[in-house]
Amino acid sequence: MKAWARALFLLGVLIAPAASFGQPITAELSTDRVEISTGFTGASVLVFGATQNPLGGDPPEDLIVVATGPTQGVVVRRKINVLGIWLNGPSTRFPEVPGFYALTGTRRVWEILPEDERRQYRLGFDNLRLRSEGNRNPSFRAALLELKQADGRWQEYAAPVARAGERLFSARISFPATVQTGDYQIEVLLAREGRVIARQELSLRLERVGSAAEIASLARGQPLLYGVLCIVLAVLAGWLGSVLFRRN
Amino acid sequence: MQVYLPIAEMSVDALLLLGIGFGVGWLSGLFGVGGGFLLTPLLMLIGIPSPVAVASGANQTLGASISGLIAQWRRGNVDWRMGLTLFAGGLVGSALGVQIFALLKRWGQVDIAVSLFYVVILGIVGALMVRESVTALLRRRRGTAPRRKLHEHTWLHGLPFKLRFRDSRLYISVIPPLLIGFGIGMLSAIMGVGGGFMLVPAMIYILGMPTSIVIGTSLFQVVFVSANVTLLQAWQVGSVDIVLTLLLLAGGVAGAQFGAAMGTKLRGEETRALLGLLVLAVAFGLAWNLLQTPSRAFTLGPIS
Repeated sequence: MKAWARALFLLGVLIAPAASFGQPITAELSTDRVEISTGFTGASVLVFGATQNPLGGDPPEDLIVVATGPTQGVVVRRKINVLGIWLNGPSTRFPEVPGFYALTGTRRVWEILPEDERRQYRLGFDNLRLRSEGNRNPSFRAALLELKQADGRWQEYAAPVARAGERLFSARISFPATVQTGDYQIEVLLAREGRVIARQELSLRLERVGSAAEIASLARGQPLLYGVLCIVLAVLAGWLGSVLFRRN
Repeated sequence: MQVYLPIAEMSVDALLLLGIGFGVGWLSGLFGVGGGFLLTPLLMLIGIPSPVAVASGANQTLGASISGLIAQWRRGNVDWRMGLTLFAGGLVGSALGVQIFALLKRWGQVDIAVSLFYVVILGIVGALMVRESVTALLRRRRGTAPRRKLHEHTWLHGLPFKLRFRDSRLYISVIPPLLIGFGIGMLSAIMGVGGGFMLVPAMIYILGMPTSIVIGTSLFQVVFVSANVTLLQAWQVGSVDIVLTLLLLAGGVAGAQFGAAMGTKLRGEETRALLGLLVLAVAFGLAWNLLQTPSRAFTLGPIS
Protein backbone atom coordinates (compact mmCIF):
# COMPACT_ATOMS: atom_id res chain seq x y z
CA MET A 1 0.00 0.00 0.00
CA LYS A 2 2.79 2.41 0.93
CA ALA A 3 4.83 1.58 -2.19
CA TRP A 4 1.77 2.02 -4.31
CA ALA A 5 1.12 5.43 -2.85
CA ARG A 6 4.74 6.41 -3.46
CA ALA A 7 4.45 5.38 -7.10
CA LEU A 8 1.45 7.63 -7.50
CA PHE A 9 3.30 10.39 -5.82
CA LEU A 10 6.03 10.05 -8.42
CA LEU A 11 3.37 10.37 -11.07
CA GLY A 12 2.46 13.62 -9.38
CA VAL A 13 6.07 14.77 -9.68
CA LEU A 14 5.91 14.11 -13.40
CA ILE A 15 2.77 16.15 -13.96
CA ALA A 16 3.94 18.94 -11.70
CA PRO A 17 5.81 20.96 -14.36
CA ALA A 18 2.70 20.91 -16.56
CA ALA A 19 0.67 22.28 -13.70
CA SER A 20 2.97 25.19 -13.16
CA PHE A 21 2.15 26.61 -16.58
CA GLY A 22 -1.62 26.12 -16.64
CA GLN A 23 -4.09 26.12 -13.76
CA PRO A 24 -3.12 27.28 -10.29
CA ILE A 25 -3.89 23.79 -9.02
CA THR A 26 -3.91 20.27 -10.46
CA ALA A 27 -5.17 17.38 -8.41
CA GLU A 28 -5.88 13.73 -8.99
CA LEU A 29 -7.12 10.73 -7.04
CA SER A 30 -5.22 7.49 -6.68
CA THR A 31 -8.37 5.76 -7.87
CA ASP A 32 -11.82 6.84 -8.99
CA ARG A 33 -13.50 3.65 -7.84
CA VAL A 34 -13.47 1.89 -4.49
CA GLU A 35 -14.80 -1.62 -4.56
CA ILE A 36 -16.68 -2.99 -1.58
CA SER A 37 -16.29 -6.74 -1.75
CA THR A 38 -17.19 -9.40 0.82
CA GLY A 39 -13.81 -8.87 2.50
CA PHE A 40 -14.14 -5.06 2.72
CA THR A 41 -12.73 -3.60 5.92
CA GLY A 42 -12.47 0.03 4.90
CA ALA A 43 -10.31 1.75 2.31
CA SER A 44 -8.26 4.85 1.81
CA VAL A 45 -7.82 7.03 -1.23
CA LEU A 46 -4.93 9.37 -1.91
CA VAL A 47 -5.59 12.87 -3.22
CA PHE A 48 -2.43 14.25 -4.75
CA GLY A 49 -1.36 17.04 -7.06
CA ALA A 50 0.64 20.17 -7.56
CA THR A 51 0.16 23.90 -7.29
CA GLN A 52 1.45 26.56 -9.65
CA ASN A 53 2.91 28.73 -6.91
CA PRO A 54 4.99 27.40 -4.06
CA LEU A 55 2.85 26.56 -1.05
CA GLY A 56 3.45 28.65 2.02
CA GLY A 57 5.09 31.44 0.00
CA ASP A 58 4.41 35.12 0.55
CA PRO A 59 1.51 35.74 0.78
CA PRO A 60 1.04 32.11 1.90
CA GLU A 61 -1.15 29.78 -0.09
CA ASP A 62 -3.01 26.97 1.63
CA LEU A 63 -4.77 23.84 0.50
CA ILE A 64 -8.01 22.44 1.79
CA VAL A 65 -9.34 19.02 0.84
CA VAL A 66 -12.95 18.17 1.59
CA ALA A 67 -14.69 14.89 0.75
CA THR A 68 -18.48 14.54 0.88
CA GLY A 69 -20.54 11.39 0.53
CA PRO A 70 -24.12 10.90 -0.64
CA THR A 71 -26.75 12.54 1.58
CA GLN A 72 -28.87 10.45 3.90
CA GLY A 73 -31.66 11.06 6.35
CA VAL A 74 -30.99 10.36 10.02
CA VAL A 75 -32.95 10.57 13.25
CA VAL A 76 -31.26 11.49 16.51
CA ARG A 77 -33.14 10.21 19.53
CA ARG A 78 -32.56 11.09 23.14
CA LYS A 79 -32.92 8.37 25.74
CA ILE A 80 -35.28 9.16 28.60
CA ASN A 81 -35.93 7.29 31.79
CA VAL A 82 -39.52 6.15 32.26
CA LEU A 83 -40.16 4.22 35.48
CA GLY A 84 -36.55 3.11 35.59
CA ILE A 85 -36.43 1.94 31.98
CA TRP A 86 -34.46 3.80 29.35
CA LEU A 87 -36.62 4.51 26.30
CA ASN A 88 -36.14 6.45 23.10
CA GLY A 89 -37.70 9.82 23.87
CA PRO A 90 -37.72 13.08 21.91
CA SER A 91 -36.16 12.98 18.48
CA THR A 92 -34.94 15.31 15.75
CA ARG A 93 -34.88 14.36 12.10
CA PHE A 94 -32.10 15.55 9.84
CA PRO A 95 -33.41 14.74 6.35
CA GLU A 96 -30.24 15.69 4.48
CA VAL A 97 -26.87 15.10 6.06
CA PRO A 98 -23.75 13.95 4.24
CA GLY A 99 -23.27 10.24 4.86
CA PHE A 100 -19.55 10.87 4.81
CA TYR A 101 -17.63 14.09 5.43
CA ALA A 102 -13.89 14.51 5.72
CA LEU A 103 -12.06 17.81 5.93
CA THR A 104 -8.36 18.40 6.02
CA GLY A 105 -5.92 21.14 5.06
CA THR A 106 -2.38 22.38 5.29
CA ARG A 107 -3.56 24.31 8.33
CA ARG A 108 -6.79 24.46 10.35
CA VAL A 109 -9.45 25.88 8.11
CA TRP A 110 -10.34 28.73 10.51
CA GLU A 111 -6.76 29.93 10.27
CA ILE A 112 -7.02 29.99 6.48
CA LEU A 113 -10.43 31.43 5.69
CA PRO A 114 -12.91 33.84 7.33
CA GLU A 115 -16.30 32.57 8.41
CA ASP A 116 -18.39 33.65 5.40
CA GLU A 117 -16.00 31.93 3.02
CA ARG A 118 -15.99 28.79 5.15
CA ARG A 119 -19.77 28.79 5.17
CA GLN A 120 -19.97 29.18 1.41
CA TYR A 121 -17.81 26.14 0.79
CA ARG A 122 -19.24 24.23 3.79
CA LEU A 123 -15.89 23.80 5.45
CA GLY A 124 -15.97 22.34 8.94
CA PHE A 125 -18.73 20.72 10.92
CA ASP A 126 -20.00 24.11 12.08
CA ASN A 127 -20.69 25.16 8.52
CA LEU A 128 -22.58 22.11 7.34
CA ARG A 129 -26.14 22.97 6.48
CA LEU A 130 -28.05 20.52 8.67
CA ARG A 131 -31.74 21.19 8.22
CA SER A 132 -33.66 19.67 11.10
CA GLU A 133 -37.25 18.76 11.87
CA GLY A 134 -38.74 18.03 15.28
CA ASN A 135 -37.14 18.96 18.56
CA ARG A 136 -35.16 22.22 18.19
CA ASN A 137 -32.83 21.67 21.12
CA PRO A 138 -29.24 22.31 19.95
CA SER A 139 -28.05 19.27 21.88
CA PHE A 140 -29.41 17.06 19.07
CA ARG A 141 -27.13 18.68 16.53
CA ALA A 142 -24.20 18.30 18.89
CA ALA A 143 -25.11 14.64 19.40
CA LEU A 144 -25.28 14.11 15.63
CA LEU A 145 -21.75 15.51 15.28
CA GLU A 146 -20.47 13.40 18.12
CA LEU A 147 -22.02 10.14 16.92
CA LYS A 148 -20.97 10.63 13.31
CA GLN A 149 -17.40 11.30 14.40
CA ALA A 150 -17.41 8.33 16.74
CA ASP A 151 -17.96 5.86 13.92
CA GLY A 152 -15.43 7.54 11.64
CA ARG A 153 -17.84 8.70 8.97
CA TRP A 154 -17.27 12.36 9.75
CA GLN A 155 -13.70 13.46 10.16
CA GLU A 156 -11.88 16.75 10.65
CA TYR A 157 -8.10 16.80 10.17
CA ALA A 158 -7.81 13.02 10.44
CA ALA A 159 -4.63 13.22 8.34
CA PRO A 160 -3.15 16.59 7.37
CA VAL A 161 -2.38 17.62 3.80
CA ALA A 162 1.25 16.64 3.38
CA ARG A 163 3.65 18.70 1.35
CA ALA A 164 6.61 17.47 -0.61
CA GLY A 165 8.93 20.12 -1.90
CA GLU A 166 7.36 23.45 -2.74
CA ARG A 167 4.52 22.52 -5.03
CA LEU A 168 3.50 18.93 -4.43
CA PHE A 169 0.86 17.90 -1.96
CA SER A 170 -1.03 14.79 -0.94
CA ALA A 171 -3.79 13.91 1.47
CA ARG A 172 -5.22 10.59 2.46
CA ILE A 173 -8.95 10.07 2.93
CA SER A 174 -9.90 7.00 4.93
CA PHE A 175 -13.28 5.34 4.62
CA PRO A 176 -14.43 3.11 7.49
CA ALA A 177 -15.96 -0.31 6.88
CA THR A 178 -19.44 1.09 7.56
CA VAL A 179 -19.22 3.61 4.69
CA GLN A 180 -22.14 3.93 2.27
CA THR A 181 -21.98 3.16 -1.40
CA GLY A 182 -22.57 5.90 -3.95
CA ASP A 183 -20.91 8.90 -5.58
CA TYR A 184 -18.47 10.90 -3.50
CA GLN A 185 -17.22 14.41 -4.23
CA ILE A 186 -13.74 15.47 -3.38
CA GLU A 187 -12.97 19.17 -3.57
CA VAL A 188 -9.49 20.58 -3.51
CA LEU A 189 -9.43 24.30 -2.67
CA LEU A 190 -6.51 26.68 -2.93
CA ALA A 191 -6.74 29.68 -0.64
CA ARG A 192 -4.72 32.90 -0.38
CA GLU A 193 -5.25 35.93 1.83
CA GLY A 194 -8.54 34.67 3.21
CA ARG A 195 -10.11 33.83 -0.15
CA VAL A 196 -10.52 30.71 -2.24
CA ILE A 197 -8.62 31.43 -5.47
CA ALA A 198 -8.92 28.06 -7.22
CA ARG A 199 -10.86 24.90 -6.83
CA GLN A 200 -10.93 21.53 -8.44
CA GLU A 201 -13.63 18.94 -8.04
CA LEU A 202 -12.94 15.23 -8.29
CA SER A 203 -15.38 12.39 -8.10
CA LEU A 204 -15.11 8.97 -6.60
CA ARG A 205 -17.48 6.07 -6.73
CA LEU A 206 -17.88 3.51 -3.96
CA GLU A 207 -19.62 0.43 -5.17
CA ARG A 208 -20.29 -3.08 -4.12
CA VAL A 209 -18.71 -5.75 -6.27
CA GLY A 210 -18.77 -9.53 -6.40
CA SER A 211 -21.14 -11.59 -4.32
CA ALA A 212 -21.86 -8.73 -1.89
CA ALA A 213 -23.17 -6.59 -4.77
CA GLU A 214 -25.24 -9.41 -6.23
CA ILE A 215 -26.79 -10.28 -2.88
CA ALA A 216 -27.68 -6.67 -2.11
CA SER A 217 -29.21 -6.02 -5.54
CA LEU A 218 -31.19 -9.27 -5.47
CA ALA A 219 -32.49 -8.50 -1.98
CA ARG A 220 -33.60 -5.07 -3.13
CA GLY A 221 -34.80 -5.92 -6.62
CA GLN A 222 -36.55 -9.23 -6.05
CA PRO A 223 -37.18 -9.52 -2.31
CA LEU A 224 -39.63 -12.41 -2.64
CA LEU A 225 -37.20 -14.53 -4.65
CA TYR A 226 -34.42 -13.57 -2.24
CA GLY A 227 -36.58 -14.65 0.70
CA VAL A 228 -37.22 -18.04 -0.89
CA LEU A 229 -33.50 -18.36 -1.60
CA CYS A 230 -32.64 -17.59 2.04
CA ILE A 231 -35.00 -20.37 3.16
CA VAL A 232 -33.58 -22.88 0.68
CA LEU A 233 -29.96 -22.04 1.55
CA ALA A 234 -30.59 -22.21 5.29
CA VAL A 235 -32.38 -25.57 4.94
CA LEU A 236 -29.62 -26.95 2.72
CA ALA A 237 -26.89 -25.78 5.10
CA GLY A 238 -28.78 -27.28 8.04
CA TRP A 239 -29.43 -30.58 6.29
CA LEU A 240 -25.84 -30.80 5.06
CA GLY A 241 -24.66 -30.24 8.62
CA SER A 242 -26.84 -33.02 9.96
CA VAL A 243 -25.29 -35.39 7.42
CA LEU A 244 -21.70 -34.24 7.96
CA PHE A 245 -21.79 -34.14 11.74
CA ARG A 246 -24.03 -37.12 12.41
CA ARG A 247 -22.65 -38.84 15.45
CA ASN A 248 -23.36 -42.54 15.26
CA MET B 1 -10.91 -12.47 9.64
CA GLN B 2 -13.28 -9.68 8.66
CA VAL B 3 -16.23 -10.31 6.38
CA TYR B 4 -18.60 -7.75 4.84
CA LEU B 5 -22.31 -8.28 5.41
CA PRO B 6 -24.18 -6.97 2.34
CA ILE B 7 -27.55 -6.24 3.99
CA ALA B 8 -26.28 -5.06 7.38
CA GLU B 9 -23.72 -3.00 5.38
CA MET B 10 -20.89 -3.55 7.83
CA SER B 11 -17.84 -5.70 8.43
CA VAL B 12 -17.66 -8.17 11.29
CA ASP B 13 -15.26 -10.86 12.44
CA ALA B 14 -16.20 -14.14 10.74
CA LEU B 15 -14.67 -16.22 13.57
CA LEU B 16 -16.83 -14.45 16.13
CA LEU B 17 -19.95 -15.29 14.11
CA LEU B 18 -18.86 -18.92 13.72
CA GLY B 19 -18.30 -19.15 17.48
CA ILE B 20 -21.68 -17.62 18.33
CA GLY B 21 -23.27 -20.00 15.81
CA PHE B 22 -21.62 -23.04 17.37
CA GLY B 23 -22.61 -22.20 20.92
CA VAL B 24 -26.19 -21.39 20.04
CA GLY B 25 -26.46 -24.46 17.77
CA TRP B 26 -25.25 -26.71 20.57
CA LEU B 27 -28.00 -25.45 22.88
CA SER B 28 -30.50 -25.83 20.04
CA GLY B 29 -29.77 -29.53 19.76
CA LEU B 30 -29.56 -30.05 23.51
CA PHE B 31 -32.88 -28.47 24.46
CA GLY B 32 -34.80 -28.71 21.23
CA VAL B 33 -35.14 -24.96 20.99
CA GLY B 34 -34.06 -22.91 18.00
CA GLY B 35 -31.69 -20.85 20.12
CA GLY B 36 -32.94 -17.62 18.53
CA PHE B 37 -33.67 -16.14 21.96
CA LEU B 38 -29.92 -16.19 22.61
CA LEU B 39 -28.81 -15.42 19.09
CA THR B 40 -30.78 -12.25 18.43
CA PRO B 41 -29.63 -10.44 21.62
CA LEU B 42 -26.03 -11.58 20.98
CA LEU B 43 -26.11 -10.19 17.44
CA MET B 44 -27.49 -6.87 18.66
CA LEU B 45 -24.78 -6.84 21.32
CA ILE B 46 -22.00 -7.06 18.69
CA GLY B 47 -23.53 -4.13 16.81
CA ILE B 48 -25.72 -5.72 14.14
CA PRO B 49 -28.73 -3.41 13.55
CA SER B 50 -31.74 -4.89 15.34
CA PRO B 51 -33.95 -5.41 12.24
CA VAL B 52 -31.12 -7.41 10.60
CA ALA B 53 -30.45 -9.29 13.85
CA VAL B 54 -34.11 -10.27 14.20
CA ALA B 55 -34.60 -11.29 10.55
CA SER B 56 -31.31 -13.14 10.17
CA GLY B 57 -31.80 -14.70 13.59
CA ALA B 58 -35.04 -16.21 12.36
CA ASN B 59 -33.33 -17.43 9.20
CA GLN B 60 -30.48 -19.03 11.19
CA THR B 61 -32.99 -20.61 13.56
CA LEU B 62 -34.57 -22.28 10.52
CA GLY B 63 -31.29 -23.84 9.42
CA ALA B 64 -30.13 -24.76 12.92
CA SER B 65 -33.47 -26.35 13.77
CA ILE B 66 -33.69 -28.43 10.63
CA SER B 67 -30.71 -30.53 11.68
CA GLY B 68 -32.29 -30.87 15.12
CA LEU B 69 -35.62 -31.79 13.53
CA ILE B 70 -33.96 -34.47 11.39
CA ALA B 71 -32.17 -35.86 14.46
CA GLN B 72 -35.47 -36.01 16.44
CA TRP B 73 -37.43 -37.37 13.49
CA ARG B 74 -35.02 -40.30 13.20
CA ARG B 75 -35.92 -41.22 16.77
CA GLY B 76 -39.64 -40.96 15.95
CA ASN B 77 -40.16 -38.03 18.31
CA VAL B 78 -42.33 -35.87 16.06
CA ASP B 79 -46.12 -35.68 16.24
CA TRP B 80 -46.82 -34.51 12.69
CA ARG B 81 -50.51 -33.88 13.23
CA MET B 82 -49.89 -31.70 16.29
CA GLY B 83 -47.05 -29.94 14.46
CA LEU B 84 -49.27 -29.05 11.52
CA THR B 85 -52.04 -27.77 13.81
CA LEU B 86 -49.59 -25.53 15.66
CA PHE B 87 -48.13 -24.31 12.41
CA ALA B 88 -51.55 -23.35 11.03
CA GLY B 89 -51.87 -20.92 13.96
CA GLY B 90 -48.23 -19.90 13.65
CA LEU B 91 -48.63 -18.92 10.02
CA VAL B 92 -51.29 -16.32 10.83
CA GLY B 93 -49.49 -15.15 13.98
CA SER B 94 -46.13 -14.60 12.32
CA ALA B 95 -47.72 -12.69 9.42
CA LEU B 96 -49.32 -10.33 11.95
CA GLY B 97 -46.07 -10.13 13.93
CA VAL B 98 -44.09 -8.89 10.92
CA GLN B 99 -46.64 -6.09 10.44
CA ILE B 100 -46.26 -5.07 14.10
CA PHE B 101 -42.49 -5.17 13.69
CA ALA B 102 -42.65 -2.86 10.66
CA LEU B 103 -44.82 -0.46 12.69
CA LEU B 104 -42.39 -0.46 15.64
CA LYS B 105 -39.55 0.24 13.23
CA ARG B 106 -41.40 3.29 11.93
CA TRP B 107 -41.86 4.57 15.50
CA GLY B 108 -38.16 4.11 16.26
CA GLN B 109 -38.87 1.84 19.22
CA VAL B 110 -37.71 -1.51 17.79
CA ASP B 111 -34.68 -1.89 20.07
CA ILE B 112 -36.55 -1.16 23.27
CA ALA B 113 -39.69 -3.08 22.27
CA VAL B 114 -37.65 -6.15 21.35
CA SER B 115 -35.71 -5.96 24.63
CA LEU B 116 -38.88 -5.50 26.69
CA PHE B 117 -40.54 -8.44 24.96
CA TYR B 118 -37.51 -10.54 25.79
CA VAL B 119 -37.36 -9.51 29.44
CA VAL B 120 -41.06 -10.05 30.13
CA ILE B 121 -41.51 -13.29 28.22
CA LEU B 122 -38.19 -14.90 29.07
CA GLY B 123 -38.62 -13.86 32.70
CA ILE B 124 -42.05 -15.46 33.04
CA VAL B 125 -41.24 -18.59 31.05
CA GLY B 126 -37.88 -19.10 32.76
CA ALA B 127 -39.29 -18.66 36.28
CA LEU B 128 -42.15 -21.08 35.60
CA MET B 129 -39.82 -23.70 34.14
CA VAL B 130 -37.33 -23.52 36.98
CA ARG B 131 -40.05 -23.66 39.63
CA GLU B 132 -41.83 -26.60 38.05
CA SER B 133 -38.73 -28.68 37.36
CA VAL B 134 -37.23 -28.04 40.80
CA THR B 135 -40.49 -29.15 42.43
CA ALA B 136 -40.47 -32.28 40.27
CA LEU B 137 -36.84 -32.99 41.13
CA LEU B 138 -37.46 -32.63 44.88
CA ARG B 139 -40.49 -34.87 44.68
CA ARG B 140 -38.52 -37.56 42.90
CA ARG B 141 -35.79 -37.39 45.52
CA ARG B 142 -38.28 -37.73 48.39
CA GLY B 143 -39.95 -40.54 46.50
CA THR B 144 -43.39 -39.09 47.10
CA ALA B 145 -44.53 -38.93 43.51
CA PRO B 146 -48.09 -37.64 43.39
CA ARG B 147 -50.78 -39.72 41.74
CA ARG B 148 -50.53 -38.84 38.12
CA LYS B 149 -53.90 -38.80 36.51
CA LEU B 150 -54.07 -40.20 33.01
CA HIS B 151 -56.66 -37.59 32.06
CA GLU B 152 -56.74 -34.32 33.86
CA HIS B 153 -59.99 -32.82 32.67
CA THR B 154 -60.05 -29.04 32.58
CA TRP B 155 -62.23 -26.57 30.71
CA LEU B 156 -59.88 -27.06 27.73
CA HIS B 157 -61.42 -30.45 27.20
CA GLY B 158 -64.90 -28.99 26.82
CA LEU B 159 -64.00 -27.14 23.62
CA PRO B 160 -65.37 -28.33 20.27
CA PHE B 161 -63.49 -29.58 17.14
CA LYS B 162 -61.76 -32.42 18.90
CA LEU B 163 -59.00 -34.30 17.15
CA ARG B 164 -57.06 -37.39 18.09
CA PHE B 165 -53.31 -36.79 18.35
CA ARG B 166 -52.15 -40.39 18.59
CA ASP B 167 -48.40 -39.77 19.01
CA SER B 168 -49.10 -37.36 21.87
CA ARG B 169 -51.69 -39.69 23.41
CA LEU B 170 -54.20 -36.85 23.42
CA TYR B 171 -57.79 -36.35 22.30
CA ILE B 172 -58.34 -32.61 22.53
CA SER B 173 -59.89 -29.67 20.71
CA VAL B 174 -57.76 -28.03 17.97
CA ILE B 175 -58.48 -24.57 19.43
CA PRO B 176 -55.75 -24.54 22.17
CA PRO B 177 -52.94 -25.66 19.82
CA LEU B 178 -54.10 -23.18 17.17
CA LEU B 179 -54.07 -20.34 19.71
CA ILE B 180 -50.68 -21.36 21.09
CA GLY B 181 -49.30 -21.55 17.55
CA PHE B 182 -50.72 -18.11 16.77
CA GLY B 183 -49.30 -16.42 19.87
CA ILE B 184 -45.88 -17.94 19.50
CA GLY B 185 -45.81 -17.21 15.76
CA MET B 186 -46.47 -13.55 16.48
CA LEU B 187 -43.81 -13.27 19.18
CA SER B 188 -41.30 -15.13 17.05
CA ALA B 189 -41.71 -12.62 14.23
CA ILE B 190 -41.11 -9.68 16.60
CA MET B 191 -38.29 -11.30 18.56
CA GLY B 192 -36.54 -13.13 15.72
CA VAL B 193 -36.82 -16.49 17.40
CA GLY B 194 -38.36 -19.81 16.48
CA GLY B 195 -40.29 -19.79 19.72
CA GLY B 196 -39.25 -23.21 21.01
CA PHE B 197 -38.45 -21.91 24.50
CA MET B 198 -42.09 -20.80 24.85
CA LEU B 199 -43.56 -23.68 22.90
CA VAL B 200 -41.90 -26.44 24.95
CA PRO B 201 -43.48 -25.36 28.27
CA ALA B 202 -46.82 -24.55 26.56
CA MET B 203 -46.98 -28.07 25.13
CA ILE B 204 -46.07 -29.68 28.44
CA TYR B 205 -48.18 -27.61 30.82
CA ILE B 206 -51.13 -26.46 28.71
CA LEU B 207 -51.60 -29.30 26.23
CA GLY B 208 -50.19 -32.00 28.49
CA MET B 209 -48.00 -33.65 25.87
CA PRO B 210 -45.36 -36.19 26.92
CA THR B 211 -41.86 -34.63 27.25
CA SER B 212 -40.28 -37.16 24.89
CA ILE B 213 -42.39 -36.00 21.95
CA VAL B 214 -42.41 -32.28 22.82
CA ILE B 215 -38.92 -31.44 21.60
CA GLY B 216 -39.31 -32.97 18.14
CA THR B 217 -42.78 -31.50 17.63
CA SER B 218 -41.71 -28.04 18.77
CA LEU B 219 -38.82 -28.18 16.29
CA PHE B 220 -41.36 -28.94 13.58
CA GLN B 221 -43.30 -25.77 14.38
CA VAL B 222 -40.08 -23.76 14.82
CA VAL B 223 -38.79 -24.78 11.38
CA PHE B 224 -41.94 -23.81 9.52
CA VAL B 225 -42.66 -20.62 11.43
CA SER B 226 -39.09 -19.37 11.06
CA ALA B 227 -39.28 -20.13 7.32
CA ASN B 228 -42.40 -17.97 7.16
CA VAL B 229 -40.76 -15.18 9.19
CA THR B 230 -37.69 -15.32 6.92
CA LEU B 231 -39.83 -14.95 3.83
CA LEU B 232 -41.92 -12.07 5.20
CA GLN B 233 -38.94 -10.22 6.69
CA ALA B 234 -37.02 -10.50 3.40
CA TRP B 235 -40.05 -9.43 1.41
CA GLN B 236 -41.53 -6.66 3.54
CA VAL B 237 -38.71 -5.33 5.72
CA GLY B 238 -35.72 -6.31 3.56
CA SER B 239 -33.45 -7.16 6.45
CA VAL B 240 -32.41 -10.82 6.06
CA ASP B 241 -28.65 -11.02 5.62
CA ILE B 242 -27.84 -14.36 4.04
CA VAL B 243 -24.08 -14.00 4.53
CA LEU B 244 -24.66 -13.51 8.26
CA THR B 245 -27.10 -16.43 8.32
CA LEU B 246 -24.76 -18.85 6.56
CA LEU B 247 -21.81 -17.94 8.79
CA LEU B 248 -23.90 -18.49 11.91
CA LEU B 249 -25.18 -21.75 10.44
CA ALA B 250 -21.72 -23.06 9.58
CA GLY B 251 -20.96 -23.04 13.31
CA GLY B 252 -24.53 -23.86 14.29
CA VAL B 253 -25.05 -27.11 12.39
CA ALA B 254 -21.98 -28.65 13.98
CA GLY B 255 -23.05 -27.54 17.45
CA ALA B 256 -26.62 -28.79 17.04
CA GLN B 257 -25.52 -32.37 16.40
CA PHE B 258 -23.31 -32.45 19.49
CA GLY B 259 -26.16 -30.98 21.51
CA ALA B 260 -28.76 -33.45 20.22
CA ALA B 261 -26.52 -36.40 21.11
CA MET B 262 -26.03 -35.04 24.62
CA GLY B 263 -29.72 -34.20 25.07
CA THR B 264 -30.75 -37.87 24.95
CA LYS B 265 -28.62 -38.53 28.03
CA LEU B 266 -30.37 -35.88 30.14
CA ARG B 267 -33.57 -36.57 32.04
CA GLY B 268 -36.67 -34.47 31.40
CA GLU B 269 -36.55 -32.54 34.70
CA GLU B 270 -32.87 -31.71 34.43
CA THR B 271 -33.28 -30.53 30.83
CA ARG B 272 -36.14 -28.26 31.81
CA ALA B 273 -34.32 -26.88 34.86
CA LEU B 274 -31.23 -26.08 32.80
CA LEU B 275 -33.23 -24.50 30.00
CA GLY B 276 -35.20 -22.47 32.54
CA LEU B 277 -32.01 -21.17 34.15
CA LEU B 278 -30.59 -20.20 30.77
CA VAL B 279 -33.78 -18.38 29.81
CA LEU B 280 -33.73 -16.49 33.14
CA ALA B 281 -30.08 -15.53 32.67
CA VAL B 282 -30.80 -13.95 29.28
CA ALA B 283 -33.82 -12.11 30.75
CA PHE B 284 -31.70 -10.68 33.57
CA GLY B 285 -28.96 -9.63 31.16
CA LEU B 286 -31.40 -7.73 28.97
CA ALA B 287 -33.21 -6.21 31.95
CA TRP B 288 -29.88 -4.93 33.22
CA ASN B 289 -29.28 -3.22 29.86
CA LEU B 290 -32.68 -1.54 30.00
CA LEU B 291 -32.22 -0.30 33.57
CA GLN B 292 -28.60 0.73 33.35
CA THR B 293 -27.87 4.38 32.53
CA PRO B 294 -26.86 4.30 28.84
CA SER B 295 -23.27 5.22 28.01
CA ARG B 296 -24.57 7.63 25.37
CA ALA B 297 -27.67 9.73 25.93
CA PHE B 298 -28.35 9.96 22.19
CA THR B 299 -28.71 7.37 19.46
CA LEU B 300 -28.52 7.68 15.70
CA GLY B 301 -30.81 5.87 13.31
CA PRO B 302 -31.89 6.00 9.70
CA ILE B 303 -35.14 7.71 8.74
CA SER B 304 -37.50 4.92 7.84
